Amino acid sequence: MDRFGSIITAAGLGCFAFAFVLSSLYPWMITGGSKPETNIAVLAQDVSPEFRDLKARWPVAFDAAYPQGVDALTMQQLVGVSPDDARRGRSEAAWEASYAQALRDGRDSYISEGCWHCHSQYVRPVSNEDQRWGPVSVWEQDNNSLQRPMLWGTRRVGPDLTYEGGLRSNDWHAAHFWRPSEVSPGSVMPRYPWFFREGWQVRRRIDPEIAERTGLSGDTSYALPGVYDSQAEAEAALQSTRDSLPNSLAAESERLFVEQGKGLNHRGLSMLAYIQWLGTWMPEPEPEAES
Amino acid sequence: MSTVDMPFDDAPRAADSAETRADELVHKQLIKWHFSFGVAFLLTSMTAGFLVSLNFLNLYPFENIEWLNAGRMRFLHTNEVAYGFLVNCFVGALYYAIPRMTGKPVFSKKLGYLIFFVWQFLVLATSLGQLFGFAQALEWGETPTGFRPGSWDLEYIPVDFLIELGAVLVALQFLTPLARSIHKKMYVSQWYLTAGIIWLILTYVMGNTLPEWSMPGASGAATVGLFIHDLVGLFVTPMGWGLMYFFVPIILRTPVWSHALSVIGFWALAFFYPLNGVHHFLLSSIPMSVQYGAVISTMAVEIVVTTVIVNFFGTMWGKGYALRTNLPIRWFYTGMIFYFLTCLQCAFHTSLAMQKVIHFTDWVPGHAHLVMLGVFAFWIFGMITWLWPRITGNEWHNRRLNQWQYWLTLIGLLIMFIDLTAAGLVHGAMLDNLSPWMSMVEALKPYWGVRTFAGGLILTGQVLWSYNLWKTARTPKPYDYRVDLVQPEAS
Ligand code: HEC
Ligand code: HEM
Repeated sequence: MDRFGSIITAAGLGCFAFAFVLSSLYPWMITGGSKPETNIAVLAQDVSPEFRDLKARWPVAFDAAYPQGVDALTMQQLVGVSPDDARRGRSEAAWEASYAQALRDGRDSYISEGCWHCHSQYVRPVSNEDQRWGPVSVWEQDNNSLQRPMLWGTRRVGPDLTYEGGLRSNDWHAAHFWRPSEVSPGSVMPRYPWFFREGWQVRRRIDPEIAERTGLSGDTSYALPGVYDSQAEAEAALQSTRDSLPNSLAAESERLFVEQGKGLNHRGLSMLAYIQWLGTWMPEPEPEAES
Repeated sequence: MSTVDMPFDDAPRAADSAETRADELVHKQLIKWHFSFGVAFLLTSMTAGFLVSLNFLNLYPFENIEWLNAGRMRFLHTNEVAYGFLVNCFVGALYYAIPRMTGKPVFSKKLGYLIFFVWQFLVLATSLGQLFGFAQALEWGETPTGFRPGSWDLEYIPVDFLIELGAVLVALQFLTPLARSIHKKMYVSQWYLTAGIIWLILTYVMGNTLPEWSMPGASGAATVGLFIHDLVGLFVTPMGWGLMYFFVPIILRTPVWSHALSVIGFWALAFFYPLNGVHHFLLSSIPMSVQYGAVISTMAVEIVVTTVIVNFFGTMWGKGYALRTNLPIRWFYTGMIFYFLTCLQCAFHTSLAMQKVIHFTDWVPGHAHLVMLGVFAFWIFGMITWLWPRITGNEWHNRRLNQWQYWLTLIGLLIMFIDLTAAGLVHGAMLDNLSPWMSMVEALKPYWGVRTFAGGLILTGQVLWSYNLWKTARTPKPYDYRVDLVQPEAS
């Protein structure tokens, strides 16, 4: 067996094909190949509450990133319109389309940033992993288009993310992507400043009474939802917020001011949508075969 | 001396006309270029590895620059080392070995230059694609598909397909002389090289298409595992052993110890190695029957490895002094010892009991560096060290720098391996005992610090060597091959 032709056919083609059938085709036949994969449009039918929450928190960036269903108002007109104003409403179909787009964009970033080299996406039946993260993984839960290419990973510098969805708030994730070591001191996860955009925000200084009681500085303030591209837009938003306040809250309106700030951009929003999706989908169990 | 036991070559004898003829078949310029680019990519990819290791200590210098982010730098590290360093250097060595073994020139010199330029372009396109966000989710094959993940929307150069094309050209270039060999029987090197080239094409096509476009979840994982393993086991390994079977007998001037062992080693590799794939995702939702199969064939590979190692140590029998007097031989045999160790490690840690502890931990990068750096890079260092004065015609600028490279790399690698292995055990135990995540990360940081230190030693070794290669190529100083002949009292 040491002639050119026999090496090519027996070793080069034969051994390769044998192994391919046993360790790729055969597992495919009894898993993914036996049942069609669920595509993204179907996955997105179940819009997560966290995804809707993203819109409440970062309305401007959200509408710009997922314009489905916002054409009732132009972007210019949207400024200053409160996030839960009915005119901003989206039909359920528009929500689903936005969600599908966000999941896909988020998955793409997850791949290109190399998250999967530090985080795994499957839970093993050993090492108390089911206590740490949740039920042991079954192949059916990965039989969907967001797992093609599959993102199981082979390394756990950071925790497994199979069931990450809903575990933490959007705010936590946003702060974490901005600077992981701020929420997890000492974390070696890289920071992702490019998930954020610079802009102008309306902020509210806290009530002096509360400041006194809690011992916080009187200058402490927090941001209202929305990060605007220009100072003028933020001022307009500030004005319309003031206008909507009743006279009894005049002091309150004095505490509002405009300042530069940061919010998630398109990439950040879709990454959060993806992270908050993980583990929230399970296929319908097969109907019992008739006996 | 029987023809099947020697690679039909001998140490150079200046006045020997057969030798001169063999030499004419070799395109030295191409070899020099491939080696030079290979070493340049080695330096950049190691620098990238060093940077990534700094990230683990919260010392990453470019944390605010998107395209130099640590996550993307890790793609660059493993891909440039594989496609830039290993492939370039293997191809360079093939330009030397194959024509001399077969007595036939490669397909075409012009094709050689075409392959050279196309390949360097692809390596650069891969690195840039990865830095700018087009990496593919295929471990060790993050070369951009060029398409948006899982779809057919083109957004970057389709590097994968071009690499496949490049591999076909490489096959044309080298299979031609292998098929037309002037010798009736094939020498063992030729089996490995022939099969390895075919396997490269098949593996690359399989790994870069199926998990991306047709196999989701568990089935994709099985195929990705197969790809990772085939790329190492069916391309890098056959190239490595094929070239070892060529260089070792030539340098030691002795035939291979046992033809029978060579046959067993080759066929057992061809049969068992590709069956290992799924061992990269054990205890997962891939069907258990497939997982058990992978575990058993992984253990079987250890038998293959033992036969090959025994064969090579048999070959060296009585010439052990070469380890002291001949640096290339020392690189080769150190690599072989590491090869044996890595595979022995495999046979144990593929068991589900050990998988439970060591999978997902630093143990795995420890293992990966032992095999990629400790074996294949060591062999390449040996080959280049032996060939460089022969293809440039110049005596080494400074032979002591090569010794420095050897010791710095060896010590650095040993520290890195022991350190990461220990870190893996700590990590595995803390995963199991439900320690909070950050206390685990903090516990691993001292180990990661030692890894950075070890990486510094290795990097220094390669910088010294590269400087030496550069100076040697630039400074005309006639080289006398007799200095390197293996004899007890050589220099
Ligand atoms: C260098 C390795 C590394 C990379 C790359 C990395 N992470 Fe992390 N990640 C960590 C570590 C370590 C932790 C745990 C400490 C912490 O909370 O920051 C973590 C924690 C997390 C958590 C919180 C998990 C939890 O619930 O406690 C999420 C979510 C996360 N990472 C997502 C990502 C995403 C998305 C990416 C890619 C954009 C990413 N990580 C890239 C190392 C990494
Ligand atoms: C200066 C020397 C080097 C340093 C500091 C270094 C550092 C690193 C780091 C930090 C990682 C990431 C590990 C992780 O994800 O936890 C890595 C992975 C890797 N490196 Fe290196 N490296 C070096 C040299 C090399 C060389 C020479 C090779 C190959 C010839 C190599 C091959 C690999 C491979 C294959 C991986 C992937 C490991 C895995 O996924 O398990 N490295 N290296």
